Amino acid sequence: MPTLKMILNGQEVFVDVEAGDLLADVLRDKLGLIGTKISCGEGECGACAVLVDGRAVDSCLYPALKAQGREVTTIEGLGQDNRLDPIQQAFIDKTAPQCGYCIPGMVISAKALLDENPHPTRQEIEEGISGNLCRCTGYYQIIEAIELAAERLAEKGGPK
Amino acid sequence: MSNRVVGQSVPKIDAATKVRGQRKFPQDFNMKGQLYAKVVWSEYPHARVLKIDVSPAEALPGVVAILTSKDVPVNEYGINIVDQPVLVGEGEKVRWLGDRIAIVIGESEKIAQEARQLVRVEYEPLPVVSDPREAMKPGAPLIHEERGDSNILKHVKIRKGDIEKGFAEADVVIEKYYLTPHVEHAYMQPEAGVGYIDEKGRVTVIAAAQWSHDDLHQISHMLDLPLDQVREIVPAIGGAFGGREDMYIQHLLALCAYCVRRPVKMVFDREESIRNTGKRHPYYMKYRTGATRDGKLTAVEIELISDAGGYASTSIPVLNNAASFAAGPYVVPHAKVDAYTVYTNNAVTMAMRGFGSTQPAFAYEMQMNKLAEALGVDPVELRMKNLLEDGSIALTGNPMPKGVGIKETLRQAALGAGWREEGDQWIKPDLGTPSAPYRRRGIGVACGYKNVGYSFGFDDKSKVIVELALDESGEVARALVKLGASDQGMGAHTALAQIAAEALGIDYEKVRVALVDTSVVPNGGSCSASRHVYMSGNAIIRACQEAVRKRQEALRTGERRVSVEYEYHGRSVRPTTPYDDENGMCDPHISYGYTSQIALVEVDVETGQTEVLKFLAAQDVGKAINPEMVKGQAGGGVHMGLGYALTEEFIQKEGLVKTRRFSEYHIPTVADMPREFIPFIVEVPDPTGPFGAKGVGEMTTLPTAPAIISAIHDAVGVWIDNLPATAEKVWWKMREKAGMA
Ligand code: FES
Ligand code: FES
Repeated sequence: MPTLKMILNGQEVFVDVEAGDLLADVLRDKLGLIGTKISCGEGECGACAVLVDGRAVDSCLYPALKAQGREVTTIEGLGQDNRLDPIQQAFIDKTAPQCGYCIPGMVISAKALLDENPHPTRQEIEEGISGNLCRCTGYYQIIEAIELAAERLAEKGGPK
Repeated sequence: MSNRVVGQSVPKIDAATKVRGQRKFPQDFNMKGQLYAKVVWSEYPHARVLKIDVSPAEALPGVVAILTSKDVPVNEYGINIVDQPVLVGEGEKVRWLGDRIAIVIGESEKIAQEARQLVRVEYEPLPVVSDPREAMKPGAPLIHEERGDSNILKHVKIRKGDIEKGFAEADVVIEKYYLTPHVEHAYMQPEAGVGYIDEKGRVTVIAAAQWSHDDLHQISHMLDLPLDQVREIVPAIGGAFGGREDMYIQHLLALCAYCVRRPVKMVFDREESIRNTGKRHPYYMKYRTGATRDGKLTAVEIELISDAGGYASTSIPVLNNAASFAAGPYVVPHAKVDAYTVYTNNAVTMAMRGFGSTQPAFAYEMQMNKLAEALGVDPVELRMKNLLEDGSIALTGNPMPKGVGIKETLRQAALGAGWREEGDQWIKPDLGTPSAPYRRRGIGVACGYKNVGYSFGFDDKSKVIVELALDESGEVARALVKLGASDQGMGAHTALAQIAAEALGIDYEKVRVALVDTSVVPNGGSCSASRHVYMSGNAIIRACQEAVRKRQEALRTGERRVSVEYEYHGRSVRPTTPYDDENGMCDPHISYGYTSQIALVEVDVETGQTEVLKFLAAQDVGKAINPEMVKGQAGGGVHMGLGYALTEEFIQKEGLVKTRRFSEYHIPTVADMPREFIPFIVEVPDPTGPFGAKGVGEMTTLPTAPAIISAIHDAVGVWIDNLPATAEKVWWKMREKAGMA
């Protein structure tokens, strides 16, 4: 079995994987990181989004071995010292999660967006989460949460 | 009493764990030594199973067991009528694609997956019945021979006033035929879970469910075990919308655990979830509506035919509901309704947001807008003349209970959209200039109403236990609310915790709501019919009042714990009654929520594509326990309604499924949603509700489709009477209208 080495949520990890393994399955089944959700399993909903070298990818399609040597961030890797990331806090403050199944993917997409573009327009926010499906909310409070996070981050002098 | 917690948008009780990804959903549970199961699904919508050969699958290393009908102690179940086999055996019939032949259990998911492909099943195909209107006819092939000589499951009749007289009084009569499609719930969390034998030997299931205590009854029947030998635990649910009211995985997990006595995990993939679980009923609706020249409704004649699919599920209660709401939130003196639900070989149909009130809302509101056009009256004005008020006599002959807020919802939505009210007259706003020369603007209005709680004489009730832990000084340190109320995501537990905090006079942060585990919590009833705030809220208030009294005693005795159990019955304040067999008169529902919505759209005349620019949604919830959560329900309801209107259609051809994934079954993305969304919270209290509250979840989806479709008509002059209004459909209609088709 090949060994996958990656920087996962800031820590170096080694994990034995099979050639065909997908990143989502490795994260969930081998590493116990259940925050990454699987909804469609075929790249159509964004529930499984994680950051690979800072960019959001659908981990249900992403070959695990492609993450070799890269930095991978899952929802569990956001925030520091038990404190929430400002995006997560804004999601709470705006009552954005309903069932919450899409929410880790949404937060990850928002993180990728705000890291790249700290002052997004509403249109850009919509584009940033256009690959994330949600059946509960109509997206409005999610958009408001991302706007609020951007505002708060700007006050604090940018993300990260 | 001034409210400290009720009416505040406190953070949802589960939000922090959800944004961290820590909250466990059914697929997130794993147990030591667990096995994996996969279902062998039917390949035909209607066929006799001749032979099941499991031997090649059994021979695969790592296969632990293959369950067939012989392994099911009592091979039948059903939420309302027990007409479903758990597994279909040799010599028996499959009646839709979601029927199951076998369950393969293996040491790994891969092995189970591989083995299920090795199970060989021989079928004798039978004639497929895919249109309920054909299925109703005498001589149609029977889906359930054992249930008599007709596929008609139920016929509801309502006869109010004198229908001939009503139409004789009408100056204008509109007669149209409407069709709504099968709709997939499309909750983001597919069915999943673990079945195991717990430390007390109970067959236990961890899965998403809307009414675990009812599942328990069905599972205990299936396994022929006493109720106390089965148990269901409901962790976080990834959406439900009615789709988890029936069992689609719970009983299978129970069966696996019962048979192999080891933990067994099962997860459906998205295609399995779409192909093999229930849908919203398609309704075929014939409407004839009459009104006088000055806009008073005189009569309606309605025929509803619903496609129940292969098994009954809740098709009869859904039909009962649909019939009772068929005339809309209007006073109609003369009415005749005939409603049928019919077995076919299509997908099983079941509860989905609105429970039968959604389909007729499309038809009755389209009729109102066509009537407004025919009379040359503003659509808001026409509605104001006919809408229900407190005490109005409804379609089923009952006076409407106090708290009818429908006019207020329409007033707020209409004013918000720019209508002007001048005396009795309502004047439509100017819509502004379209964003491109090839686009046309239009605006559409629609209303709706929905029951709260279970209806037609059902003893709807909720039982709750409230436990207080007192600190040294006798203050309440913590309160625990125990009840079997699933929170499918809408925030039921948050709202109930707020109600408890308010009733106890303590901080919201001190209240916990117990995980739904049937071995711990009492039966709170189903998480459906928008009922938990009303039913369980009422139970909690009373339990808390008693707990407050008991605390006084505890202060005297030095006791540190207080525990109260209370069961609230809806009929203690508003008894409901079933339909009269002859004329359908009854008092159907406990309480109601009301809603009005307005859509501003632009239609591209070159492509037929509709864009919803602006959407106003007013909901009368009696009292918003948590206003931000109410807004969330409005957003979600409009999302589902917009999909219903424009993009969503679960397509079957002769019982076979054509839309198996999100790229084929289109739920709206963020880009499809109205750019501007304006929710209004209207609070006309129901004096019997907790703090005046009614309910909210379902009604927010009712008027969305008719509002959008009427806006399309306003823009380009065509009526789309069969949903969804895809760009192609609108384009063809426009061509037809121009005489080019
Ligand atoms: S689960 Fe990966 S995109 Fe849907
Ligand atoms: S919150 Fe349920 S899917 Fe988004």
